[in-house]
Amino acid sequence: MIRVEHLSKEYKIARRKPGLRGAAQNLFHRTYDTKAAVSDVSFSIDQGEMVGYIGANGAGKSTTIKMLCGILTPTAGEVRVAGIVPYKQRQRNARNIGAVFGQRTQLFWDIPARESFNLLKHIYQIPQHRFDENLRTFSDVLELEPLFGRPVRQMSLGEKMRCELAAAFLQDPLVVYLDEPTIGLDVSVKARIRKFIREMNRNRKTTVILTTHDMQDIEEICSRLIMIDAGRLLYDGDLRSVRQRFGNRRTIHFDLATTATDTAMPAQLAPWVFAEWEGREKVHIQFDARQTSASDVIAAMMQSYAVRDLTITDPSIESIVKDIYERGLS
Amino acid sequence: MRKYIEIFKSQLQLDAAYNGWFWANAVASVIGLLIAFSFWHAVYRHTTQIANMNLPKMISYVVIAMILGNYVSGVGNRLSESIRSGEVAIELMKPYDLLLKLIWLDLGSKVSASVRNSLPLLVIGYAFLGVQAPVSLAGGALFAVSAILGVLIGTQFDLIIGVLAFWTVNVWGLRVLRTGILSIFTGALIPVTLFPAWLLRISEVLPFQSMVYTPVAIYTGAIPFQAVGMTLLIQTIWLIGLYVLVRLIWSVALRKVVIFGG
Repeated sequence: MIRVEHLSKEYKIARRKPGLRGAAQNLFHRTYDTKAAVSDVSFSIDQGEMVGYIGANGAGKSTTIKMLCGILTPTAGEVRVAGIVPYKQRQRNARNIGAVFGQRTQLFWDIPARESFNLLKHIYQIPQHRFDENLRTFSDVLELEPLFGRPVRQMSLGEKMRCELAAAFLQDPLVVYLDEPTIGLDVSVKARIRKFIREMNRNRKTTVILTTHDMQDIEEICSRLIMIDAGRLLYDGDLRSVRQRFGNRRTIHFDLATTATDTAMPAQLAPWVFAEWEGREKVHIQFDARQTSASDVIAAMMQSYAVRDLTITDPSIESIVKDIYERGLS
Repeated sequence: MRKYIEIFKSQLQLDAAYNGWFWANAVASVIGLLIAFSFWHAVYRHTTQIANMNLPKMISYVVIAMILGNYVSGVGNRLSESIRSGEVAIELMKPYDLLLKLIWLDLGSKVSASVRNSLPLLVIGYAFLGVQAPVSLAGGALFAVSAILGVLIGTQFDLIIGVLAFWTVNVWGLRVLRTGILSIFTGALIPVTLFPAWLLRISEVLPFQSMVYTPVAIYTGAIPFQAVGMTLLIQTIWLIGLYVLVRLIWSVALRKVVIFGG
C-alpha cells in the first residue's frame, strides 16, 4: 500500500546575518543552511496494517507524513501510496487518503457538522448510499448524533475530535494518517476513539499510520512500530519486542520534603534502579518491574528520605526512543 | 464542478449565520452613503457642472460606485491567513483546486452581499437620494455585464495580494497599500475623469478603473454607447490577464511550498 524507498528531505534555511548591515546584505546575497529533516528512510506498509510512527519532536515524523500526503516534494528517494506518487498527483492521492491532525481542524469552522459532512460528500464525490451508511456506522461508535446540528467552533475538544475522525474515514480512504488524535482528551473519549480506529481497520482493511506521544494509543492500536530519530530510521518491527523490553519499565518520581544530603541510592536498591536527580529535592527512579517491585522501591526510599509526594509513570515514547538510540534493541 | 457549486452554497449558508456582522455592515454602508450625498450637495452649491456632470448625475455615479466598491474585496485575506498559519497544508490535501475553491467562496459571499447589502442601498438610492435610472435598457444590461466583469477582476487582484503571503510576512502592510491604491484608482470615491490629466493617463493603463469606474460610467452614459464594446473587451482582457497571473504566481508559490516546506 505504501512504499518508501531511500526517502530524504532537506530544508534550506536562509541564514540571517545579525544587525542592520546584515539585513542589508541579506537583501542581495543570502546564504543557506541545509537541514536534513529526513535522511534515507525506507519502509513498506501493507494494506490493513496499523503502524505507529514515532519519534521525538522534530525527528522528522510530520515531514514524512507530508511527503506521503503529497504536500512536500522529497529531495531524494521514492514514495508511492496505493501506486500513486503523491507529489506528482496530489489531487488523485487526496482521494485515497484521510487525515486527522490533532492541532488543526479540517471541518468547516462555522457551519453545522452535518453540513460540513455534506460538503465533504461533494468534495470527495462519495455516493449517497455510501455516505449515509458511513455516517450511520460512525454515529454508533462515536456518538455523533447530538453533534450534527452544531458548528465546530461550539464544540469541546473531544466532540470536535470525534467529528474529525468521522470526516477522515468518510470517503472510505485506503490510508488514514492520524497525528496525535487523542492529545488533550479525557480517558473515555480516548477509549472511544481507539475503539473506532480498531473497528475501521478490522471491517474495512483501512491502513492506519499513527503518530503519537501516548504509549497507550500505540499499545491499543498498533501492531507495528516505526521509529525515527533525527531523520533516520531507528527501528522498524513489531510492537511485541519493544514491549518485552520496555513493557515492564516503570519510573517513580519522588518529591522530597527536605534537601537530600546524600544522592546515593539505598544499598538494597542500587543494583536494580537508575536514578536521576533534579536538584536535591526531586529524583526520578527507573527500574524494571520484573527485577524489583514498585512497593520495594517506595519502601526503601521512604526509609532513607522524607518523601513528600510520589507518582508512578510508564515509560514515555521519548525515553524509549532515547534508550533504543543509545543502547540498541538487543 | 458540482463540488465547487456546493462550496459556493456553503458560503451562502455561512453568511446567513452571521447576522450581527451583516447588520453592522449595512448600517455603516448607509451612513457612508449619506455622508457622500451631503458632501456632493455642498460641493455643487456654487456650481452646476463638474467635469461635464451635473449634481443628479454625480449622485448617481457616487451611489452606484459606492455599491460596486463594496465588491472590490475578496478572499485574498483568507488565503494569506491560511498561508501564514500553515492551514494551507491541509487545504492542499483535499481533492480540489484551492484557487477555484477560493473563487467560488468569493462568489458566494458576493452573491449574499448583493441581496443583503447592495439591494437595500440601491433602494435607498432610488427612493431618497435621487439616483437616476440607467440611460437606457440596453445601457442597463451592458452595465450589468461590465459590473460582473469588474467584480471578477477585483477577485483576481485580491488573490494576487493573498498569494504574496508566501513571500512576505507582513501581509497587513500590503493590504493597507492595496486599499489605498484601490480607493483612488478604481473610481469608487470619485470618477477618474476628475483626475488631473497625468493621473488619468496612469489610471487608464492600470486594471483598477475596470473594477468600478468603467461599469458606472456605462451606467451614467459617460462612456458613449458605441464605445462600450471596446471597454468590455478591455475588461475581459484584464480579467483573463489577471487570472493567468494569479495562476502563474500560485504555481511558483506551490512549488516553493512543496519543495522548501513553506
